[in-house]
Amino acid sequence: MLKKRPHLLWLLAPYALYLVALPLVDRPFLFFWLLLATLLTPVAVFLAWRGDRARG
Amino acid sequence: MSGNAAVASAIFGVFMLLTVALGLLAVRGHGRGGGLTEWSVGGRSLGTVFIWVLMAGEGYTSFSYLGAAGWGYNYGAPVLYVVAYLSCGYAIGYVVGPTLWAYARRHGLVSITDMVAHRYGKPWAGALVAVLATVCLLPYIQLQITGMGVVVSTISYGAISLNWAYFIAFAVTTTFVVVSGLRGSAWVSVLKDVLVIGTLGFLAGYVPLHYFGGYGPFLDRMVAEKPDWLTFSGHGGSGMAGGWFVTTSFLNSLTVVIFPTTVAGYLGARSADALRRNAMLLPFYNVLLFVPMLLGMAAIFVVPGLTGAGSNLALFKLVVDSLPAWAVGVIGVAGALSSIVPMAVFMLVIGTMWGRSVLGAIPRLAERPERQKTAAQVVVVGAGALALLLTYTAPNTLVRLSLISYEGMAQLVPMILLGLMWRRLTLWGALSGLVVGGTLVCALVFTGHDPVWGVNAGALALVANVLVALAVSWWGPRPGAAEAARPDDEVLARDPGRDPEGDGAPAGAAVSGRG
Repeated sequence: MLKKRPHLLWLLAPYALYLVALPLVDRPFLFFWLLLATLLTPVAVFLAWRGDRARG
Repeated sequence: MSGNAAVASAIFGVFMLLTVALGLLAVRGHGRGGGLTEWSVGGRSLGTVFIWVLMAGEGYTSFSYLGAAGWGYNYGAPVLYVVAYLSCGYAIGYVVGPTLWAYARRHGLVSITDMVAHRYGKPWAGALVAVLATVCLLPYIQLQITGMGVVVSTISYGAISLNWAYFIAFAVTTTFVVVSGLRGSAWVSVLKDVLVIGTLGFLAGYVPLHYFGGYGPFLDRMVAEKPDWLTFSGHGGSGMAGGWFVTTSFLNSLTVVIFPTTVAGYLGARSADALRRNAMLLPFYNVLLFVPMLLGMAAIFVVPGLTGAGSNLALFKLVVDSLPAWAVGVIGVAGALSSIVPMAVFMLVIGTMWGRSVLGAIPRLAERPERQKTAAQVVVVGAGALALLLTYTAPNTLVRLSLISYEGMAQLVPMILLGLMWRRLTLWGALSGLVVGGTLVCALVFTGHDPVWGVNAGALALVANVLVALAVSWWGPRPGAAEAARPDDEVLARDPGRDPEGDGAPAGAAVSGRG
């Protein structure tokens, strides 16, 4: 699926923001990072959707 | 009952009547003779807006309203996992939602148990999943009853005891779900979302200003006096450090996309595109989750000394302490609707799973689809009563109940998600993994070993589950000739692409198929 739709990789961006970066940030900043990640999640999904639209 | 209690309770009572009336209004012209498909998935006709409010409504429950504040009060930072897993789950829901929607529409399915029965060609596998999913969902219904009970008791200023409040929560929700089904839940979700956004927006500004003089002084005080709450693993040596946060968020993000109530939302959609647009919009709702978490921490300074399940009261203690009775009533209604909508969908899903997959196996019911709906409604009342009994006999904190539900449901991820994507996963492989994962998670959770070695017990069990499922599929018994002869298109799920009717199925074909 990712071969035909590489733009779907954007959907993994929230995982990177929350599950990789957040514990590193911790090692109140945590809340601000989380708020940033929450606001960026719809952007990541939008980029995946835009890729789908471009490919019909 | 004092004057304050009378005012707040009257406002609450009026809104509860309005809720049931809205449910009845929603099904006018749809309900009679609509059968199980209309009742359980709204006739697969809900557009982007209704799907958004319904699914956001499921994500924003009394667990978020009260439990998040309670955990913010008790531990601090670890409660942030709620925002993380919901956002990640909504993101992968962009792919999973349309895929499950198209699969169900193509084959006329109305729940995850139907999907399992169809995928593996064994109706008893669907019945087994229905039983297991019900066991996992009961703590979540108990959670909502507890949450609404807390609200009812608090806004009556203690005039209504917690035990009576739990019963009121059960009675209102059961009546609502039996008469209105999924379409009614979607309508009431609109009312709920307006109230939740309005009240939380107000509280987000009012509480820090009222008690601390603004966010700056509040956060300064947190950093100076309660720094433990602001980093992992939170206050009190909870054991919930970074490892627990990552594994819990990851596990729950996978589980939430196959959670029976989420799937009910998917299947109620009019088109795959409605679900894709929904996946973009849903994460915005998560910003609201910060409010109860922060207010829970604010409550540390205002109402110190709440312990155990009492911490569920953290947010409402602030509300009752600082606002007039009418405002307490309105905020109470928002909290109560945050229980009613998700609890209704949970009960609806249990009723649907049993109506189709368990009771539907009885020949007399299988031949009479209209009786399946009645049977499903009877199951709804039974499941609600059982959850009410659990509330009285085994009270727990709201977050603890949620974690138990998710860790149990996670063990169905390989059987459903992996099974629908990968043909070589055999029924015996999936079942073996489920048995190993389920046994391990029960052993760890009920002996108090969660988290274990710093990670979520359910995640550890899921790893064992997948390894066993793969091993048995690889080296275990092969499927029979009839099963092997089924084409991939019949067995596997795939993304439906642009076709608004999902894989070219004629509009309504699936609706009349088995519902």
